[in-house]
Amino acid sequence: MPLTAGYSTVDGVFDEMMDANTGIRSHWNNFLGELGRFSSPALRRFWETAERLVQENGTTYNVYDETGNSARPWRMDPIPFLVDAAEWQHIESGLIQRARLLNAIVSDIYGERKLLSGGLLPAPLVLGSPNFLRPLHGIQPPGGVHLNFMAFDIARAADKRWWVLSDRTQAPSGAGYALENRIVLARTLPDIFRDAQVHRLAGFFQALSDNLIAQTGKEEPLIVLLTPGPHNETFFEHAYLARYLGFPLVEGADLTVRDSKVYLKTLNGLKLVDLIFRRVDGDFCDPLELRTDSVLGVAGLVAAVRARNVIVANSLGSGVVESQALMSFFPGLCKELMGEDLQLPSLATWWCGQESERKFVTENLSRLIVRPNFEKNSILNNNVDSFDGATASDSLRNETINRLNRRGYDYYGQEMLKLSTAPVWMDGALQPRPMVLRVYVCADGDGYRVMPGGLTRITDGLDSRAVSMQQGDASKDTWVLSDHPVSTYSRLAMADQTLALRRSGSDLPSRVADNLFWLGRYAERSENSVRLLRSMILRLAGEAGSGDDPQTLTHLTNVLVDFGYMRRQSARKAVAGGIRAVEREVASLFEHDSPNGLLVLLNNLQRTASLVRERLSADSWRILNGLQRRVIGRAKEVNLNTDDALALLNFILENLAAFSGMQMENMTRSLGWRLLDCGRRIERSRHLAKLIHELAVDGDPAAEGGLDLMLELGDSSMTYRTRYLSSVQLPAVIDLLLVDESNPRSVAFQLAELEEHMMTFPHDRESATLPRERHLIASLRSMVKLMDVHKICSQTNRRGKRVELAHLLERLESQINEISEVLGRKYFSHVLPTRSSSFVGLMP
Amino acid sequence: MIYEVSHRTTFSYTSQVSISQHMMHLAPRNSRCQTVLQHGFLIEPAPTVNVPGIDYFGNETTYLTVEEPHDKLNIVSSFRVQVDAFVPPPATSTMAWEEVLVQAGNQSDPAALDALQYIFQSPFSRSLDAGAYAEPSFPSGRPVLEGAVDLMARIFNDFKYEGGVTDISTPIDQVLKERRGVCQDFAHLQIACLRALGLPARYVSGYLRTHPPEGEEKRIGADASHAWLAIWVPGHDWIDLDPTNNMIPGNEHITVAWGRDYSDVSPINGMILGGGEQKIKVAVDVRPVDDQGTAD
Repeated sequence: MPLTAGYSTVDGVFDEMMDANTGIRSHWNNFLGELGRFSSPALRRFWETAERLVQENGTTYNVYDETGNSARPWRMDPIPFLVDAAEWQHIESGLIQRARLLNAIVSDIYGERKLLSGGLLPAPLVLGSPNFLRPLHGIQPPGGVHLNFMAFDIARAADKRWWVLSDRTQAPSGAGYALENRIVLARTLPDIFRDAQVHRLAGFFQALSDNLIAQTGKEEPLIVLLTPGPHNETFFEHAYLARYLGFPLVEGADLTVRDSKVYLKTLNGLKLVDLIFRRVDGDFCDPLELRTDSVLGVAGLVAAVRARNVIVANSLGSGVVESQALMSFFPGLCKELMGEDLQLPSLATWWCGQESERKFVTENLSRLIVRPNFEKNSILNNNVDSFDGATASDSLRNETINRLNRRGYDYYGQEMLKLSTAPVWMDGALQPRPMVLRVYVCADGDGYRVMPGGLTRITDGLDSRAVSMQQGDASKDTWVLSDHPVSTYSRLAMADQTLALRRSGSDLPSRVADNLFWLGRYAERSENSVRLLRSMILRLAGEAGSGDDPQTLTHLTNVLVDFGYMRRQSARKAVAGGIRAVEREVASLFEHDSPNGLLVLLNNLQRTASLVRERLSADSWRILNGLQRRVIGRAKEVNLNTDDALALLNFILENLAAFSGMQMENMTRSLGWRLLDCGRRIERSRHLAKLIHELAVDGDPAAEGGLDLMLELGDSSMTYRTRYLSSVQLPAVIDLLLVDESNPRSVAFQLAELEEHMMTFPHDRESATLPRERHLIASLRSMVKLMDVHKICSQTNRRGKRVELAHLLERLESQINEISEVLGRKYFSHVLPTRSSSFVGLMP
Repeated sequence: MIYEVSHRTTFSYTSQVSISQHMMHLAPRNSRCQTVLQHGFLIEPAPTVNVPGIDYFGNETTYLTVEEPHDKLNIVSSFRVQVDAFVPPPATSTMAWEEVLVQAGNQSDPAALDALQYIFQSPFSRSLDAGAYAEPSFPSGRPVLEGAVDLMARIFNDFKYEGGVTDISTPIDQVLKERRGVCQDFAHLQIACLRALGLPARYVSGYLRTHPPEGEEKRIGADASHAWLAIWVPGHDWIDLDPTNNMIPGNEHITVAWGRDYSDVSPINGMILGGGEQKIKVAVDVRPVDDQGTAD
């Protein structure tokens, strides 16, 4: 049975794949034929692969909701949207013209303003716009390019023509998702993709990046991608693009303005920034001259732009042409500014600031949508932002007419388009669903260039007029078909130019350094916690040799509780209640409410990793992501018995080991890696110090099973047995876990590694004194090296406490903590700017 | 009348500030009835960057940074201006208020094009209720200045001047409900009222000459910043209105800057790195002088 059997188009709606009379459109034949060769189970496997890839890559879209549970996996439909070459040429040429037009309009608005004084552009749509940023007036960017990167939402109506629905000129989102869709689909259907002569996307991103570099006029400029941060709905994409384009991902607090120049705060000091590729809305970019309540911007940025010391792309204020109310003026403006007819029509729009248009809108309300010119700036009622004539009540209709009569110039009316449908894979078959295509355009030399592809968005229902990601729709890859073989250029392998050889990547922002450090700490902490829990369960279940010894269990629970891995109550119950209680309490291992509960730790690990996502390899990310999914899934199960829990803990441990292996084997030894490793070493030293303190300071550890436990938790049992066979004595254990620099699990080893890292940290070379952290680590190392193991293990006070050992361990712990603090203060502290306003005393 | 004005702002911080940036609107501007004779700044410590500029509204600005550690910043703006008396036109002679919007729509007239931007909501003029409060002052066909003066008098009578109950972030609708506030609240309120009717209204910041109580010496530094508004009246340019004092300013109001609202002309807007707690002390002194330049 062919794939298209049962596919029925909707009356009065254009379908992209099928003509109701003549059948399948010719450019779909190849694709459908190829796909049709596979059986249903094979197709299902493909789609599962696609879904898995999306999940593994951690593609998410943050949607704000009350539950605070915001990251939602990206939904991709596996059937690409196909566009044939001739049609694409039409779209391409139309959008390039539109891009030039919009740039010319922005340029006039912030420059000569002849469109305003000549009456070609209605003043209310510019001067009333919250995106018209007055402090930028009179500033022209290099080459007059205000718009470097933009997006257009286009849709096809029943008449087969493409219409532009909206223009995104500020900081358009979605290009990264389009790229991700492409990568996933090309891997899901590799053969079909290869044979289909689909235009590749990489060349477009190369052009985007080349153009930004060219604008700076420098050979090796520092270009940063400015993001509002991880809470933004499209943060995934910011990180993704930053990595793909090779620009450091920064937040406002990573940048600082000195002497009207913008600098990136890095571990190596301040680095001059040449261009900011922004994903922050213009009005939020500078709390000094723009929105004073913004915490996302860089104070003094506008002054730096004014002094021509930095380029912001797109230029600040470029959002001024986004209002859809402007669209009806584009044909006239296109004639005036470029002497051309507008090629692609815009969705029919009537701005109600004009008498006849307002009359038309009030008379045709039932078939129109009425919206304020600027969504965030509706003067009359902030709650109602649009009026839909098809569904509105009578009272709302009257209220709207009233408003239009009083302040018509604040509103526009718009026709509703019957969107064309494209085939979507649903319930094992192809079904038509409404779609909108977002196409991306970037500046390219003197002109513009269109991404040959785009983000096709679809709705779940058949009758959806607005297609937006926020509303829970899915997306598709877009295949622009070529008549000829296509260039298979890949962004990562550039053959035509010789790269200057470099040893370190881009500069490390202090905030990223901070997050990498904590990533190391959380990874190690999770590992320690799992080992402890595993030892505990083994003993409770009576499967380990020393299971009968109550003293060992007490020690173990003390450590668990002490570290916050378990609540004291749960620990006590588990110990006292026998195997039944154990099974009951196993679930509590994954409880949310202990400060360092396993779930909390893994969440922290995942969150910190997501903050430095652009620094982690795809594989590392996949490991963490899989870990998180599986653990959360399993932990929710009610009847987790001891065996299940052990299996789960082993699974976590294996994955954490894989993650750490990735860091050891696959990360370049950059400063970032060193900080990550420092975090790990610091955490491991602290853990060992506490562990030894708990198990070896009091009593007779050899008799109480404490020595075995120490070796087990210190992952050094094997080493010990090969050295000493079965005779377990305290001095030998202490030597192995504390002093032996050749044991990668010993304290001494961690200290040595820490010192080596610190030697490479940037510091004032002229200074005669050692930096504080170097001083601390050196003194710790010599303390450990010089200790007399036999003496320290045998010297006890009257109650049998090994005081010297205790003292040494306490000093170790407190100095390790101090090192962590010093590093934080010195290298990561990004003092946040605060407001200082002088508004004061007024007239009596 | 000639005035000598000094406006001293002292920021003290409990710990060192490593870098501070300020955008200031402190230099007075020329206007129809005002001529700036002399102006200067005294800034301690010496600024790293000190760039004068002209903003979108034609006000003088100063962008200032201090990029060495400091725990104190002193900014003194001193100037001498001549303010001539303004004689308003008879209110009844101005055009019907509904006509003003039509005039403002004439984009080929630069003055109208400039005025048009002041009919839209701006950050500190947001209000849902101001329109309803304004309506009784503007029956159909009433001369615009007559309506505006009536509205000003109503605000003066309906609202109580009370310091410390509002700050710059207090929404207009709250002021409207509680019927009290200070000068910038009343200015913002009347601006919101006028704009809700489609009338161009702008915010003016400056100083007001004060008169010491009978028989007392005026204390130096006892004056303060003041704020009022102006309305666009075709044929008469912009006419100032001071709802705090229920008057059309004559020669006792000294204009520093104007914009859509406070956010466009905030005297000193700053961002600092570090600094801990900060204390701000402001002293304003407005002194009339005679033609020879000696105190009046």
